Amino acid sequence: MTAKTIHLRLGLLACAISLFLIFFAIPYWVSSPSNVGKVVLSPLFWPYTISALTGLVGILLFIEWWRTPPTDERINEPSDDTRTAMLRLLGMAVIMVLTMMLLPVLGMVWTCMLSFISTAFLVRTRHPVTAVICAVVIPLLLYVFFAHVAGVAIPQGDFVRLP
Amino acid sequence: MSMIDSLLAGLSLVSNVYAFLALFGGIIIGVIGGAIPGMSATMAVALTLPFTFALQPITGILLLLGVYKGGIFGGSIPAILIKTPGTPASSATILDGYPLAEKGEAGRALGMALWASCTADLISNLALILFAGWLASFALSFGPPEFFALILFSLTIIAGVSGDSLLRGALSALMGLLLATIGLDLVYGTNRFTFGSPNMMGGLNFIAVLIGLFAIPEIIAMVWNPTAHIGKTRKLGKNWVTFEDYKNSFKSIVRGSFIGVFLGSIPGIGAAPSAFLSYSEARRKSPNKKNFGKGEIEGVAAAEAGNNGVAGATLIPLLALGVPGDVITAIILGAFMIHGLQPGPMMFVLNVDIIYGLFIGLIVSSIFLFLVGSVAIRGFKYVADVPKRILIPGVLVLCIFGVFAVNNNIFDVGVMFAMGWLGYFMMRNSIPAAPFLIAFILGPLLEDNFRQSMLMSGTDFTILFRGPITWFFWAATIITIIAIVRSTIAGRVKTTPQ
Repeated sequence: MTAKTIHLRLGLLACAISLFLIFFAIPYWVSSPSNVGKVVLSPLFWPYTISALTGLVGILLFIEWWRTPPTDERINEPSDDTRTAMLRLLGMAVIMVLTMMLLPVLGMVWTCMLSFISTAFLVRTRHPVTAVICAVVIPLLLYVFFAHVAGVAIPQGDFVRLP
Repeated sequence: MSMIDSLLAGLSLVSNVYAFLALFGGIIIGVIGGAIPGMSATMAVALTLPFTFALQPITGILLLLGVYKGGIFGGSIPAILIKTPGTPASSATILDGYPLAEKGEAGRALGMALWASCTADLISNLALILFAGWLASFALSFGPPEFFALILFSLTIIAGVSGDSLLRGALSALMGLLLATIGLDLVYGTNRFTFGSPNMMGGLNFIAVLIGLFAIPEIIAMVWNPTAHIGKTRKLGKNWVTFEDYKNSFKSIVRGSFIGVFLGSIPGIGAAPSAFLSYSEARRKSPNKKNFGKGEIEGVAAAEAGNNGVAGATLIPLLALGVPGDVITAIILGAFMIHGLQPGPMMFVLNVDIIYGLFIGLIVSSIFLFLVGSVAIRGFKYVADVPKRILIPGVLVLCIFGVFAVNNNIFDVGVMFAMGWLGYFMMRNSIPAAPFLIAFILGPLLEDNFRQSMLMSGTDFTILFRGPITWFFWAATIITIIAIVRSTIAGRVKTTPQ
């Protein structure tokens, strides 16, 4: 992706966000008391100001896109295989969603062990045995520190409870 | 309370083994974190933050300051050995450090980096002690309009951390300001983007946003390209830095330290510009100027003095005004808040023991940095050998534990993941994350002081220009904006093909 393409995308995105905020998000999701006399004191004032500035930056990015001469210089390093890389990203998203879902059920330690192993294999570790050992040891050590030293109530889950 | 009393109060607070162990441990963590390319001092400080919750405020903050100082030096190790700066601040060190490594004198370059770093660090800490109290006593007379003008000026930091595009930095900052509006309204207590969820009413958790923006994108980037990090390391060589080298570079080190102190005390400039300015000044004044860029030891000394000179000075606006000078001090500001402390002029009145305890700890940190750095130079080989594909899942687990521990809330872990994807999107589109974080921190302060000023004056805007202090900050803001616009135009003229 070139800098010119990035400017175009971001300009359009910023304008879209600005319009979405001004015409939908702020009217529906920001509430203001009816007795606010001055506009600058209203809870709506700041979000509207930020939204307007976002739109302005979007327009400036669009102008930047228009003024920038085309170049072949790419900004982000391409992956060897984009399709596989996209699948790995999808895998990471699934790991994160599953982590959120499993945290209250399995508890933090066991969930983190599974997250560690799955992430290590997702990035194709060359040290599978070390990865498994670390996956067990690191969450346990962190549990000991946070639960017994810092006094944090680490979620234990419904199945195996740790001391 | 006299200065001696304050000093004794500070001493009584830090004269225990835990405080110094935390500082020492922090420097070790920082050097290791800074030395691992892709980890960065910022990430090291962010990941250490949750471990401070269980500690006394002074111990926890000293731990973080140790990580900060260690991280800035640690970044020079991969810069010299593998031409990959561990932190952006070490970029200038590459210019002469790497050519020295290619000549087989990596050990000499690293030794000089350490000596220059420790000297600059000491000078910077002394500047902090001398100026922070003075600035804080001046700031005691600030009211909401003065703070509004100051914070507005501080938002020009964003120009300094925006990288190569000011517009992308501005967009990032606006997103940060927008996210900071989530929660209950500061004056009326009405809902803003809370969607009826009690988890959102207090706003998004700062630590979740911070770790999500700085650590999770690195994990996702690793998933995108798991082999991007594979590179080569170099041997240290047999030549080591001598006292003669240090003596010959001393002028450049002191000059670089003062450049670092000056630029570091202005919010937003950061260590990287300071290092480059120090380097260019050293090259301009050195009798060996022709050798610069080809492996000149004085070049390494100047670059490292420039970036380490910033480390203590960035704490001047943080402690005296409550304004973070850069991203790392923004994280440290968060640590203060988590421990129930609010940096700023009142801290010099209410928590003077903590302030002086920090000063004492900072002076000691220069000595610890020298000790740890000497060992780290020889031990870097082992640090570099930690397989990145084991490190990254470890960072993920650490993030989950750390973010949960802040509020005992699984929702925060979800916020962190969401911010991680946002951070990755920003990374892929070259949108800097630092303006986002700075705006996220300063946004509520800006709004709060603005609305308080309006309430005070009955919405009369002239209150924002009510006296010499506000005039000064408005003038500084305007001058900074003009300078930014001029440099942007100059940069565009330079890059436009003829």
